[in-house]
Amino acid sequence: MKAGRYALIVTVLIAVSAVIVSCGRQQPTSSLEVACFKGGYGIDFFEQAAREYEKLHPGVKIKVWGNPRVWEQLRPRFVAGNPPDLTYPGWGMDHWALVYEGQVIPLDEYLDSPPYGKSEGKWRDTFEPSLLALCQYQGKTYMLPYFFSMLGWWYNKDMFEKNGWKPPRTWSELLALCEKIKAKGIAPITYQGIYPAYAVSGFLIPWAISAGGIEAFDNAQNLVPGAWKSPAFLKAAQMIDELRRRGYFQEGANGMDHTGAQMEFISGRAAMIPCGTWLHSEMRNVLPPNFRMGFMLPPVLDDGKGDPTAVGIGIEPWMVPTKGKNRELAIDFYKYMTSLEKAKQFVEQKGTLMSIRGSDQANYPEHLKEPVEVFRRAKTVWSVEYRQWYPKLGKEVEDATAALLAGNITPEQFVERLERAAEATRQDKNIPKHTYTRGKDR
Amino acid sequence: MTPRARAGFITLFLLPASALYALFVVIPVVQAFAFSLYRWRGISANRTFIGLENFQQLFNDPLVWRALSHNLLLFVGTSVVILTVSLALAHAVGAESALARFLRSVYLFPQVISLVVVAILWMFILNPSFGILNATLKAVGLKEWAITWLGNPYTALASIGVAHVWHALGFYIMLFAAALRTIPTDVMEAATLDGATGLVRLRYVTLPLLWAVLRIALVYMAIGTMNIFSLVFLMTQGGPDRATEVMLTYLYEQAFKHSEFGYATALAVVNFVLVMALSGAILTLFRHNPQEGRG
Amino acid sequence: MIRRAVVNLCLFLFALSVIVPLLWVLMTAFKTGHEIFTSPWGLPHTPQWENFVRAWEEAGIARYFLNSLIVTLATLAILLPIGAMAAYVFARYPFRGAKWLFGAFLGGMMFPLFLTIVPLFFLLARLGMLDTLHGLTLVYVAYSLPFTVFVLTGFFQTLPQEMLEAALIDGCGHARAFWKVMLPLAKPGIIVVGVFNAIGLWNEYPLALVIMTSDERRTLPLGIANLLMVEQYQSDWGALFAGLVIVMLPVLLVYWLFRDRIHETMIAGALKG
Repeated sequence: MKAGRYALIVTVLIAVSAVIVSCGRQQPTSSLEVACFKGGYGIDFFEQAAREYEKLHPGVKIKVWGNPRVWEQLRPRFVAGNPPDLTYPGWGMDHWALVYEGQVIPLDEYLDSPPYGKSEGKWRDTFEPSLLALCQYQGKTYMLPYFFSMLGWWYNKDMFEKNGWKPPRTWSELLALCEKIKAKGIAPITYQGIYPAYAVSGFLIPWAISAGGIEAFDNAQNLVPGAWKSPAFLKAAQMIDELRRRGYFQEGANGMDHTGAQMEFISGRAAMIPCGTWLHSEMRNVLPPNFRMGFMLPPVLDDGKGDPTAVGIGIEPWMVPTKGKNRELAIDFYKYMTSLEKAKQFVEQKGTLMSIRGSDQANYPEHLKEPVEVFRRAKTVWSVEYRQWYPKLGKEVEDATAALLAGNITPEQFVERLERAAEATRQDKNIPKHTYTRGKDR
Repeated sequence: MTPRARAGFITLFLLPASALYALFVVIPVVQAFAFSLYRWRGISANRTFIGLENFQQLFNDPLVWRALSHNLLLFVGTSVVILTVSLALAHAVGAESALARFLRSVYLFPQVISLVVVAILWMFILNPSFGILNATLKAVGLKEWAITWLGNPYTALASIGVAHVWHALGFYIMLFAAALRTIPTDVMEAATLDGATGLVRLRYVTLPLLWAVLRIALVYMAIGTMNIFSLVFLMTQGGPDRATEVMLTYLYEQAFKHSEFGYATALAVVNFVLVMALSGAILTLFRHNPQEGRG
Repeated sequence: MIRRAVVNLCLFLFALSVIVPLLWVLMTAFKTGHEIFTSPWGLPHTPQWENFVRAWEEAGIARYFLNSLIVTLATLAILLPIGAMAAYVFARYPFRGAKWLFGAFLGGMMFPLFLTIVPLFFLLARLGMLDTLHGLTLVYVAYSLPFTVFVLTGFFQTLPQEMLEAALIDGCGHARAFWKVMLPLAKPGIIVVGVFNAIGLWNEYPLALVIMTSDERRTLPLGIANLLMVEQYQSDWGALFAGLVIVMLPVLLVYWLFRDRIHETMIAGALKG
C-alpha cells in the first residue's frame, strides 16, 4: 500500500499546485475562448488567426482549443451556462437544439454592421447568400458558415484516360460506361455503406431533383405531405435499385466505412465514388503520389425535369453562445477570420472552398479546380438540411437507403418508409418545424 | 462481540465505500431517474415535467423492442458459447503444466486490451475486400461464403457476438479455472478414485462445487450483454438498417444525436430495471444447488 | 482420448485466434498507410519506425501515460482497502438491510454509465473537482466499487470460517482479525480484482472525457481516442496502429508481471496452504 499512498500524495500535490498556478495567472484585459471541432482541416489555422489577432489587438488573449469530439464536452458546458465565447461545434452537435433553447444568439444585427476593419458596407454581403440562407430559423440568422463542401462523384482520372472513358453526364451514359468498367473486372461504383448519408446525398437526392425538379426536394425538406413518396423519389429509388440489380455497385460496399470505401477507390478497385470535396484532404496520407481524381456531378436523367447544374453543398457552422462572456470580441474575431484575405489563405492552405465571396480567386490546388468550375456554373444549390432539422427523419432516410442498397426492400417500400417517417415528424408537436424558402440561389 | 460493538464495526467498515459510492454514483443516478420524467434536450437548463410520457412513448417504440431483442439474443447466444467453451477448457487451462500456464496468460489478452482495439481488429478481420476471414474462405474454395459480414443484416449481429466472445471468453475461463482451484483437491481425487470421469465428474462434482461461481458468471454475462455498447458503436453503428441496434446504442442516439435526454434517460431506467430483473431471475433460478437440494 | 484431443484443439485454436490478430496489429504498425489497405496481410516493405515517432509526438503519449499512471495507482490505493472492508462485512457480518445495501452496490454495475455523466459533471463542478486528477480518482474509486465489492464478497464467502474463529479465539478483535488474517487470505482475490480494475481504469474513456477538459491532464485513452479520431480524418493509419501498439504494450506488460503473481497465488492457494 505504500506505493499507492505515495501516488495519492503525488496526485494531491499536483492537483493543489495546478490550482495555485491557475489562480496566480495574470488575467489579460479581455480574453476569448474559442472551441472548435478538429476534423480533417485541423484547428491550426484558427490558432494562427488568433495569434495574428492578438498582435493586432494588444491586450486581447484568445484561447483556441478543440478535438474531434468537442461537442461532447460542449454539451454539459451549455447546460451549466458556462459555454465558450465562440464555437464551431462540428457535425456531431445538434445545432438547432441550441437555437431552440436560446443558447446561441441571432446574428443579424452584426451581419448588418461593417466587415472587419471597414467602416461601411455590410458583413452579410461578404458571404455567399445561398450558404447564409441555410443558417436561418424563423427569419433570423443564428449561425455562420466558414468553409463549405460540395457533394458529387469522384472518378479515377488515369483509369478513365487510359481506357478512353468520359465522365458520364447522363443516366444512359452512366449505364453504358458501367457496363464497360464492369467488363474490365473493375467495380464501377463503390460507396461508404456503413454511413448511408453518402449514398443519400450522392444518389438519392440528386436523382430525385433530376426527376422532379428542385421543388421535389424542397417540398420533401419542408415536409409537404406526400413529398417523400412522390414520383421523383420513387424514380430515384428505382435508379439506385437498377444499379444494384445490374451489379454496378462494388460487392461488399454496404459493409465499408468511409475510409474503407475510399481506399477501394484510390486503389483502383472501383472507378467512381460519391463523396464531398473533403475527399482529397481526408485521404492525403494514403494517396499514391501520382493519383489524379476528377470531380463530377452525379449523372442526371436524360429527360430530367431538374436543373442539370444543381449542386449539393454542406456547411459546418460557427455560432456565438448566448452566455458567452465576450460577445463583441467573439464577433470581431470571427469577422477577422472571414475577411477575404484570411478566406483566401484558408483555401490555399487547406484546399477547400470558402463561403466568402471572391475567395474563389485564390490559388486552388489541382483537385479543387473542377469543383470550383462546377460551383461557378451551378444555377441551383441544395443542401441536406432535414437531417439537422429532424434527426430522426434523417436517420430513417439513411437506414432505408442502406436497406435499398442491400436489396432488402423494393423502391415502393422504400418511399413508403420515407413518407411514414416524414408523417411521424409532421405529427410530433414537440419537434419545431423549419421552412426553407428558396430565394435566388446565385 | 456485543451488538453495539458489532454495529460499530459494521458501520466503520462500510462507511468509506458507502460514502464515496453515495456521493458519486447514487446521487447522480437518482438525478438521472428524475430526468426520465422530463422532456429535456440536454443542452440547456430548461426542462418540462411530463410525468410518465417518456415511458409511454417507449413502450410504443418498435425500435426499443427490436434493440432489446438483439440484447437478449446476444445474451443467450454468447453465454451458451462462453459457458460451453470455458467449462470444457477450464480444467485443462487450470493445470500446472508450463503450457497451461502460458495459455492462461494468452487467453486474457483480449480482455486486457481496450475495446476500441478489439473493435478495430474485428472490423479488419471481417472486412469484405481484404479481411483475413474472407481471404481464407476464398483460398479454401468457399467463395460464396465470403460475404459482407458486417454489412449483411443476417450476419452482422452474429459478428458482434463473435467479437464479444473473443473479448470476454478469457475472463470466464480464468474465473472457472480459479474456482476449480478452490475445490479441495481431495474431493476431486476422491471423485476420480470413485471412477467419476468426464461428463459424470462435471455433472456431479465440478458443477455443484462451481455453483456459486456459475451464478455469478451468468449474472456477469447478462450485465455484459445488456450493456454492450462500444463494439456495436464502433463496428456497425447499430446498422445495417438497425440490424445490430442494441439498447445502449439506441439510447446514445436518442441522447446525443436527437437531443432527447429525457427519453434517453427513460431508456436507461428501463434497461436498468431489465438488467436487475434478468439478474434476479438468474439468481433465483440457480439459487438451489442441485446437489445440495437433494440432501 | 478423442475428447482430450478436441479439448486440446480448442485450446490451441483459441490461443491462435488471440495471438495472430495481436501480431497482426504489431506488424501493421510498421507499414505505410497504402500497404495497410492494399496488402493488409503482407509484411511491411520497409519497417516504418516513423509511425511510432508520429504517434508519440502527435498524441503526446508520454504525458498522458503519466496522468493515467497516477490516476490508476491512486484509485487502486483507495479502492482496494475500502472495497475489501465493505465486501468483508457483506460476506461475514449479516445485518438488517445488508441485502438492500449490497443490491445498491450491485445496481451500479448495471446502470449505463454515460447517463450519469451530466449530473456528475455538475456535482464535480460544485465540489471544485472538475478537470482535476484527484476528482477523477475519487470518481473512479466510486465507479469501481460495485465490481470490487461484488467479487471480493464472493471470495470472502469461500474463505474457511475456522481461520476467523481461530484468530478470534487467539484474542484478535474483529478489525484486527480482518487485517491480519482474513485480508491476507483473500490475497488471490484482491490481486485478481486489482489487476482487473487497473486494466479497466487504464482503458476508461467516457468519464475521463467529460471530467478532464484540459489537454495537459488527459489520460491515455483520451489521447488514443483523439489519435483514432484524428486518423479517421487524415487516414494516417500507420500512426494509429503504432499508437495502438504503444497503448497495448504497457497494459500487456503490467498484466504479464501480475500474471506470475496470479499464477503463484493460485498454485499455492491460500486454502491449500
